[in-house]
Amino acid sequence: MSKATIIPFGPQHPVLPEPLHLDLVVQDETVVDCIPQIGFVHRGLEKLVETRDYNQFIYIAERICGICAMGHSLGYAETVESLMGVEVPKRAEYLRVIWHELSRVHSHLLWLGLAADAFGFESMFMHCWRLRERVLDLFEKTTGGRVILSVVKVGGVVRDIDATQMAEIVSVLDGLKDEYTQIMNTLLTDTSVKNRTVGVGYLSAEDATALSMVGPFARASNLAYDVRSFGRGAYGDLSEFAPITDTAGDCFARVKVRCLEVLQSIEIIKELAAKMPAGDIAVDVKGAPADGAQASNVLEQPRGECYYYARGNGSKNLERMRMRTPTSQNLAGMTVALKGCDLADVNMIILTIDPCISCTER
Amino acid sequence: MTTFEQTFEETPLAQVHELAASRLADGWRYVQILAVNTENGIDLVYSYMKDGLLANFNVAGVQKGDTVPSITDLYLEAFVCENEIHDLFDVDISNIAIDFGGMFYQLAEKAPMTVVSPEQLAAREKAKKIAAAKAAKEAAAKAEAAPALATGPTEEEIQAKIAGLDPEKAAKVRAAMEAKAKKAAAATPAAPAEPAKTGLTEEEIQAKVACLDPEKAAKVRAALEAKAKKAAEGKGE
Repeated sequence: MSKATIIPFGPQHPVLPEPLHLDLVVQDETVVDCIPQIGFVHRGLEKLVETRDYNQFIYIAERICGICAMGHSLGYAETVESLMGVEVPKRAEYLRVIWHELSRVHSHLLWLGLAADAFGFESMFMHCWRLRERVLDLFEKTTGGRVILSVVKVGGVVRDIDATQMAEIVSVLDGLKDEYTQIMNTLLTDTSVKNRTVGVGYLSAEDATALSMVGPFARASNLAYDVRSFGRGAYGDLSEFAPITDTAGDCFARVKVRCLEVLQSIEIIKELAAKMPAGDIAVDVKGAPADGAQASNVLEQPRGECYYYARGNGSKNLERMRMRTPTSQNLAGMTVALKGCDLADVNMIILTIDPCISCTER
Repeated sequence: MTTFEQTFEETPLAQVHELAASRLADGWRYVQILAVNTENGIDLVYSYMKDGLLANFNVAGVQKGDTVPSITDLYLEAFVCENEIHDLFDVDISNIAIDFGGMFYQLAEKAPMTVVSPEQLAAREKAKKIAAAKAAKEAAAKAEAAPALATGPTEEEIQAKIAGLDPEKAAKVRAAMEAKAKKAAAATPAAPAEPAKTGLTEEEIQAKVACLDPEKAAKVRAALEAKAKKAAEGKGE
């Protein structure tokens, strides 16, 4: 075997939309070790909680990431509500979950398009993003925004979805589901896709468990952990919910899990639309979190479990707000999945992990 | 269906590694580590999860010079949080499995999360004042409720006690008492014949308000009107 060489990968690389750097230790064409590095776009958003009150900070929370915007505003609001003992109306919980699941659909379609583009499957990229546009159109109709929705507030939501709009959401999702299923089946049965992904970037269930991994990356290694299964909020009213898992633990399994999660999200939205309760969409929240009060929370973002923490200081500004994102949790798992792979497979493995550096750096 | 619960517990710094080892042995997932900059040092919060229970362990007041043991030998995935806490809060963490040596984040300022902003300082002072006022209120209520037991000795009793002392000491005590009385008299403000602060005239106030931005000006006017209304009601009573 030849001498080990370190090959830098990123932070600018054709397959990486965001700045992640990897030092790949390579012998011949095999990656024997990998050291990830982030830190190129750290923005210090958590510090801003000191200069914005707890209502204003929600607009910063959702700007942490353009893809997970809805999830961050929801996770933050839930944490502050827990801190202040606020109970959100049932209708608001349903509306939040509907928008959040729509976000998951748009996130997974965006990822699928990027992955297809990396395979060299450019027509698939265009189809995925065409379908994603329909979800963005639904956002625009129901919230006024396409990426940053600004519909969640501490105590509920700021907008309602009326029966006509709800019927339109269901109708659009029905149409989207048919087209998406065709695309998904094409992708999952394509020989060239299988050649690039089956058996590549393997991560065992034991490693996924030992590394406390989260999201589709973990579920593709048969780790059935999904925060939604705790049944909080409107998720508790679903007739059934089971995390989508796969036993293969390779890149193909990760593609498959995400593909199936799009269909699962569509079903969740349709079920909640049919069960939507009447009532208020928000409660008034007055006062400030008590000095020293603490609350933590977890939320299933498109990339996995995201942890939120808030501490009060008796004023309207929080003492501390913290988010630990799914990518941050999965970086260790990524290094394990990369060990032993061919250098040419590195980009495919990273894409199927779907890291979100924007969230991770905050 | 597994339900979600969260707990917060205190734990000493010396037990951080031991705690992680016991959690790992019991099959808990590592969730995260975070730091909070407080007046008494840096608080670290370690979170682990099992069967829907999110257990948070607070290590209060880590000081400069304290070394925090890394838990990356048990939970490798903690290297991200540990490097982050080192870079952003300047907490010394030993033996991190993947240690970036302070270069994890490309920062313009060292330990930016330890800089106390004016807003944070104001919030802390406000919290302190509220706590002090609450304590004073409670003490006053307690004193009022209790019978007047501790009224202190009368002037005659004090003079009788002083008379019992040796002359040199008695002279010293008398001088100290006189100085105290003089100081107390000086500290008590004389009731002003007129309000000490005459304030601005109506024209001056309006001129100042006109210089403010419209939104703020509207708020100031509303506050002035409310104040005037309150004053008029007070007079009426």
